Amino acid sequence: MIETRNLVKAVDTSEGVLTILKGINIRIEAGESVAIVGASGSGKSTLLGLMAGLDGASSGEIILDEHVLSELDEEQRAILRGQVVGFVFQSFQLLPSLTALENVMLPIELKGDPQAREKASNLLDRVGLAERWHHYPNQLSGGEQQRVAIARAFATEARVLFADEPTGNLDTATGSKVVDLLFELNREFSTTLILVTHDERLAARCDRQVRLVAGEVVDAEQTEEAVSA
Amino acid sequence: MPESSSAKLTDSKPLSNLFALALRLLWRDWQGGELRLLFVALVMAVTSVTGIALFTDRLEKALLLESANMLAADRIVSGRGDLPREVIEEGQARGLRTAEIISFASMAFSNSGNMLVSAKAVTDAYPLRGDVIIADEPFVRGRPVQTGPPPGEVWLESRALPALEIDVGDTIFVGEAELNVSQIIIAEPDRTGGSMMDSAGPRLMLHMDDLEQTNVVQLGSRVSYRYLFAADTIEELDSFEEWFRAREEWRGRYYMRDIREESEEVAEALERAESFLLLGSLFAVLLAGVAIALTAKRYSERHYDYVAILKTFGCTSGQISFIYLTIQLVLATGAVVVGWFLGWLVHRIILVFLESLLLVSLPQPDLQPYVVGALTAFICLLAFALPPLLALRETPPLRVLRKDMSQQKIGANVLYVFGILGTIFLVYWYSQDFELTAILVVSVSAIAIFLSLISYFFLRSSGSAGMKAGSAWLLAMTAARRRRKQNVLQVMVFSVTIMSLLILTLLRTDLIEEWQAQLPENTPNHFMMNITQGQIEGIENFFAENGIEGNQFYPLISARVTRINGDIPEPGDEEQVSVGGGTLTENAQLDDVDLDEGVADTLTTPQTDAPPVNTEEATTGGRRVRGGLSRRQVTWAEELPNDNLVTDGDWWGVESEPGYVSIEQEYAGWLGLQIGDRLEFEVNQQVVTAEVSSFRSVRWDNMQPNFFIIFSPGTIDHIGATFLSTALMEQEQKILLNDLIRLFPTMVIIEIDELIEQIQTIIAQVTSAIELISILVLLCGALVLLACVNASLDERFHENAILRTLGAGRKLILTSLLIEFASIGLVAGLIATIGAEASVYYLQEEVFEQEFALHYWVWIAGPLLGMLIIAGLGVNSTRKVVNISPLNVLRRVI
Repeated sequence: MIETRNLVKAVDTSEGVLTILKGINIRIEAGESVAIVGASGSGKSTLLGLMAGLDGASSGEIILDEHVLSELDEEQRAILRGQVVGFVFQSFQLLPSLTALENVMLPIELKGDPQAREKASNLLDRVGLAERWHHYPNQLSGGEQQRVAIARAFATEARVLFADEPTGNLDTATGSKVVDLLFELNREFSTTLILVTHDERLAARCDRQVRLVAGEVVDAEQTEEAVSA
Repeated sequence: MPESSSAKLTDSKPLSNLFALALRLLWRDWQGGELRLLFVALVMAVTSVTGIALFTDRLEKALLLESANMLAADRIVSGRGDLPREVIEEGQARGLRTAEIISFASMAFSNSGNMLVSAKAVTDAYPLRGDVIIADEPFVRGRPVQTGPPPGEVWLESRALPALEIDVGDTIFVGEAELNVSQIIIAEPDRTGGSMMDSAGPRLMLHMDDLEQTNVVQLGSRVSYRYLFAADTIEELDSFEEWFRAREEWRGRYYMRDIREESEEVAEALERAESFLLLGSLFAVLLAGVAIALTAKRYSERHYDYVAILKTFGCTSGQISFIYLTIQLVLATGAVVVGWFLGWLVHRIILVFLESLLLVSLPQPDLQPYVVGALTAFICLLAFALPPLLALRETPPLRVLRKDMSQQKIGANVLYVFGILGTIFLVYWYSQDFELTAILVVSVSAIAIFLSLISYFFLRSSGSAGMKAGSAWLLAMTAARRRRKQNVLQVMVFSVTIMSLLILTLLRTDLIEEWQAQLPENTPNHFMMNITQGQIEGIENFFAENGIEGNQFYPLISARVTRINGDIPEPGDEEQVSVGGGTLTENAQLDDVDLDEGVADTLTTPQTDAPPVNTEEATTGGRRVRGGLSRRQVTWAEELPNDNLVTDGDWWGVESEPGYVSIEQEYAGWLGLQIGDRLEFEVNQQVVTAEVSSFRSVRWDNMQPNFFIIFSPGTIDHIGATFLSTALMEQEQKILLNDLIRLFPTMVIIEIDELIEQIQTIIAQVTSAIELISILVLLCGALVLLACVNASLDERFHENAILRTLGAGRKLILTSLLIEFASIGLVAGLIATIGAEASVYYLQEEVFEQEFALHYWVWIAGPLLGMLIIAGLGVNSTRKVVNISPLNVLRRVI
């Protein structure tokens, strides 16, 4: 379960304080899939980063897997991420010097699981890259790299999966296949999925959508008003 | 409300997994070439330090050993008259090995001939160091023995046999003793380290027990006594020396010396070589340090994304540090092992080509050079590589979502502070010299500020916007200005690197040139003294007939300054002055004697037993202290002697008039003389006055006759003098010495050929060492340049990929890169030249005690080389910018 309470994120800029998120309240139940949608600059990725414990909020609270993130320092948040969270990024974020298999093995190994190789190879089979284990990221296409990233995200059997524009760097057909895979594995592993996207079709596949406009959550009707205004 | 206890969050990642991950990252980065430059830089640091330390360690030991062989001992005690037994008893009580020598000039008689010989009576333990080389017949290669002749026997030098018309096995008389000639002396360790009595003729060595029987040594005889001491450790010797020096009543009467005081040429060459090697290894390490810093910085920049991803997987900052520390330590360990091996190889290479020159087998090095090498690697890593790598721990994990986020907490200044502290530590550690460290730190800081200001202004933007992508020239210039900050750093690094290389090259060239000039091929190796006016023509004819290269004859007479401008100088006013530099048979020593000691003693050298005039010398550690009012051996000459330069006033020249005197400038300083002063001298109990017409600088270390005081012809000629000259005799001509002495029996010949050869050998050795060190430093410099060019590669790749995407051609980009690098190189070269000349000026004046002169060729070569090297390296490294598809570059697949 993830919950945000009156979450605010403000940053100092040369032109004064810029408030990116203005009192966000969201509750996402375990196993739920939620799409955070909104225009560019609406604060989607910032919200995702805060909920995943990658950054600290200016005020308000985030509760992730029963931990109040604001009460944790970066070291503790890192441990929590390692235990609870998985990620899929728009730019894949594979380590270029590791093979596909090693990239998937990495988070498993970090947890100290002796079955890392076996689990990683199974997952690579599962995402259809059985023949490409020993390829390096630069030898894989964008779609293949994102499939490796998805395999890596599920490798540690994380309870919550954060995906930031998972199809943003892919063409429509490839993106569609990657999304199918993501939801398939999500169901299979009963993961809580929180994804940020512009893609309405991808958002529609989630159980629920949270729409951000200028750093605030709006419901569907408000969104239409805001868009038409 | 959830439980918010952070205590529940415990990290379960085992260290072994992190270690394995670190090794895997290391292996991958190694394969990807990312770590190679860092590794090579570390290896270079370890190689140069270990190699140089091993070499200097062994060379120093060898030279000390060889030098000790020149003395046949580690320490010698000598003095006027018989030596106190207490000295040798104390040495023995302390467990030192001891021997005794008594030398004297004597006639040896055979049934058919006689000749003046340098006799030397030795005890059983002689020699304590080195070997006496003996043979069964004259003029052959001999075999080494560690003993002198047994009682009843004498050993003779080869050329004495034809003169005495005897063979091995015959008997000769030395005084009243009849002794059997049993062996021929081919060489003896302390042949060049003896006194006047050791240079009077061919050597005759006998056992101490036979001395009494000769009845030669009697009250009033001119005899030189020496005690020899040797020990296994320096500490024993130092402690013994301390005991000896504490005896106030012996000061000025008895002297303890080691090799450093025996031959200043050797000591000076060794000291300069050590200074140079130290400087060389310091440059090598610092350059390697800069290369390490640059490569580590680039490596860490390329690892921001790695770290951000690892952090999203739950790695804590501590674990990130652990991973990168592991990578560095494993890398450093590998570099240390490779560096040790290469360092060992480097010192082996030096030794292989020096083997023929080294007269002794080298002692094995101890482990210290390896420890120094390893420590250097880890200190370099700590100071130069770890700060940027440890800064990685501060990478925010949010960077996975926002590329523009980078680690900010440890600023560039902190990294510089680490580097600077590391540098200071290394300089101090190697030099163990606080003053040198302080001077270096202040001057390097000043140079750095100066360089950065110059570079900054040179590259200052004209304020125009855009990339000026229309022409290669404008593109390059705007690129240089846009990257101004990085370029200032680059120019600084390039400048300092080129500067280091120039400094070393200039010092090396000047040092070697000076050494070669000091003892050129045709340096005379025999001094002849006590020659009368009437003998000069005969000697010249003898030389001409036998193809011997003779030199000018200098009149020699003893004189003392009694009045300056009519005033009697008070001895109390006389300052105690120390003089470094030349020794040996140069006339500095010729001056340092009392008139009543006779002409033979004018050859007083530091090797002799006769104490210097000023007794303070004994306690000043090899530096001779002279009094300005002492007796001097003076001369008169029409022409200015070689290696003399008039520093003030005028030389009288061909149309000279009597009544003038030219004074060596330092000596003039001691007496506070001015040009035009009238000096009164006492010469052979006659009073002579002369006006000071010039001051001269004299090169004391050229092994030529040199004088403090030279009169104009006609001033003291009437008083009567003997003459001194020098000659170069090859080994095969030495037998002619017998004829020469027979023809001119009053003449005294001093043989210094072995000494000159020994000095030339040592100079050749250190020259080769210096050449090799220069090459090592050059390699380190190349490494820094490469690292520095590579440091800006990523940005250049990216920028040029965009330019190419926008349609810029290969030629435009390559030309623009060439121009940009060439201009940076030109500026760096110019700055380096200015810095190098300034540094060489300081080093030559303060450290190497050389005369400084501007090196004009450097002003052209420096900027030109800078331009060529930087342009070459830069274009070569960035050439693939135009060979990789822009898409790949933009996808960061490089």
